[in-house]
Amino acid sequence: METIALTASYLFDWHILLAALAGVTWGIMGGALPGISPSITMALLLPFTYTMDPTGAIVLLASTYIGAEYGGSVPAILIRTPGTNAAAATVIDGYEMNKQGKAGLALGISLISGFYGSMFGLAMLMALSGPLALVALNFTPMAYFALGILGLSVIATLSGENLIKGFIAAILGLMIATIGSDPVTGGTRFTFGSSELLGGIEPVMIMVGLFAMSELLIQASKRGADERVTSRPRIQFPDWKLTKRLFPAQMIGNGIGTFEGVMPGAGGTIASFMAYNEARRWSKHPEEFGKGSPEGIAAPETANNTVAETALVPLLSFGIPGSNSTAILLGGFLIHGIVPGPMLFERSGEVVYGLYAGLFAAIIGMVIMGFLMLPVCIWLVNRPRPYLNAFILALILSGIYSIHNETFDLGIMLAAGVLGFFMRMLRFPFLPTVLGLVLGYLVESNFRRSLVLSGDDFMIFIDDRISLSLLLLAFLFIAGSIGKHVYDAFFRKPKTVSES
Amino acid sequence: MLTRDFVGGVATIVIGAVYLYFAYQLRVSALDDSMGPGGLPRIYGWLLVGLGSILVIQALVARSLAAPAGAEPVKGEWDGQGRKIAYAAGLLVIAMGYIFIVETVGYLVSVGLLIVTTALYLGAGFSGRLLAIGIGGAVFLYAMFVSLLGVRMPAGMLAPLGL
Repeated sequence: METIALTASYLFDWHILLAALAGVTWGIMGGALPGISPSITMALLLPFTYTMDPTGAIVLLASTYIGAEYGGSVPAILIRTPGTNAAAATVIDGYEMNKQGKAGLALGISLISGFYGSMFGLAMLMALSGPLALVALNFTPMAYFALGILGLSVIATLSGENLIKGFIAAILGLMIATIGSDPVTGGTRFTFGSSELLGGIEPVMIMVGLFAMSELLIQASKRGADERVTSRPRIQFPDWKLTKRLFPAQMIGNGIGTFEGVMPGAGGTIASFMAYNEARRWSKHPEEFGKGSPEGIAAPETANNTVAETALVPLLSFGIPGSNSTAILLGGFLIHGIVPGPMLFERSGEVVYGLYAGLFAAIIGMVIMGFLMLPVCIWLVNRPRPYLNAFILALILSGIYSIHNETFDLGIMLAAGVLGFFMRMLRFPFLPTVLGLVLGYLVESNFRRSLVLSGDDFMIFIDDRISLSLLLLAFLFIAGSIGKHVYDAFFRKPKTVSES
Repeated sequence: MLTRDFVGGVATIVIGAVYLYFAYQLRVSALDDSMGPGGLPRIYGWLLVGLGSILVIQALVARSLAAPAGAEPVKGEWDGQGRKIAYAAGLLVIAMGYIFIVETVGYLVSVGLLIVTTALYLGAGFSGRLLAIGIGGAVFLYAMFVSLLGVRMPAGMLAPLGL
């Protein structure tokens, strides 16, 4: 109660309100631009925060993070391009709904789910930051490895009808993750003498290539066959019946988003994929997933917006930035001489409670600004396809260049686009590739560190209780999915496979 | 008769084999842990080769089960994809052309050329509207990335003009 009262006292500070609104607007714009990740959007603001008061500066940066997490879903739904890594799972059903002429409803579901997710995440941040952060503090390398395996176990259900193709796609992602510096010894791997590859390949380049560039290449390969959505949708929020249907998926997103958010290194991408997977598992309409299911948008959007708040738990409580975005936020704290950690609440309580108030204002601002900016996005869908695709190509090339200001990155993105093009032609799912790419470093680095700690004794993964629990959960996920495949193969009528 | 699974399986084996070749070239140091930098990459490579082989076998078995003895050979599902790949390659060439010229010509001009060329390639007729979209799109992207976000795009030959 004391936390709520202290937070409320900052709610009418116009400095905080202005910073929250500006941050969330900037974040939506940055998140909606493919290639501009939430951390880049925040980093671009960092120089402006030098002259601001500490609370306003932190609120501005944190609100940008929230806006960017929501903004990433807009291009995911409209142009099959996740604006942020965490929006990758939204592409699956969001773009399918767009193709069915339901772009307005898809965007409305995304906005409402983002609102629910953010509000729930803020409540979790305020109420549970201490106890949950204690759990995160107990995470060992073995537990992080098991967390990565749990994330990878989702692949079994993202593989569609051919499990082998799903595993191949995942290994491709894991392979790409091995490029760069070795996580334990620091030696170079698969860099072929290129200094640009020393730091590895940014997941956003591969994701933009796999999703956006491959889509442009596929459309170019079908010259004359315009599959454009010709309807002119309006923003549409779910009715009461649909709201009730979405509720369980949103609860799943909230739960997974909270759990993943407090684990440094886990992040919104894993949370959104896991939430998508679990929403499908528990849905009354699992057959609609992948074909334009509203729950397929609600679950990942709720999850990644929940993570946007709960990811602040380890940062505020222990000073551990668990992601690029929270590392930027840590930079914002340090600029003003504030060190996050156990003493933060005592020494700079006004910043913490001001941050909570700012986040609350930013979530309200996200709905308002998201609502105001959506018509512009929907208008874009109805532009003639050659012009729209030409502009999208220019946009993604510009966005990718802006990450490091190097044309080398554009080559990486195009190569990923070619990979995605052939994967789609050969009917390989490329979502497992994205998951393998995102989790590859986490899995390898912690697996090898664990073995170093144990002197190559694999029992260390069993002896660690958290690791054992997570590995058992992963085993259940995989066994369940394989069991379902076997059941479908032997006891269900064969499906008719149609040419696309 | 080529099926998608057969082509995909062969491609997987080739990628896995090339990756394995380079994985075995990784230098070993006395400071390495027992698994070393090449440990997991080798596992990934062998897994890819193994899974690719399973996919090829699946495709061959499915083909033999689908085609009864003495039946007329049917057209493969992979046949006729060459034209599609060629069309897609055209767009890829345009994108590579942009990468090639952007640092010399400058962002503003090259992004305008990219929009116009891509739209023409994708079927838009040459018109005043196309030119307007090219110029307007270039100015919008320049304003967004350079003026608003402060990204340092290549100025190229426009550097003397401050663009």
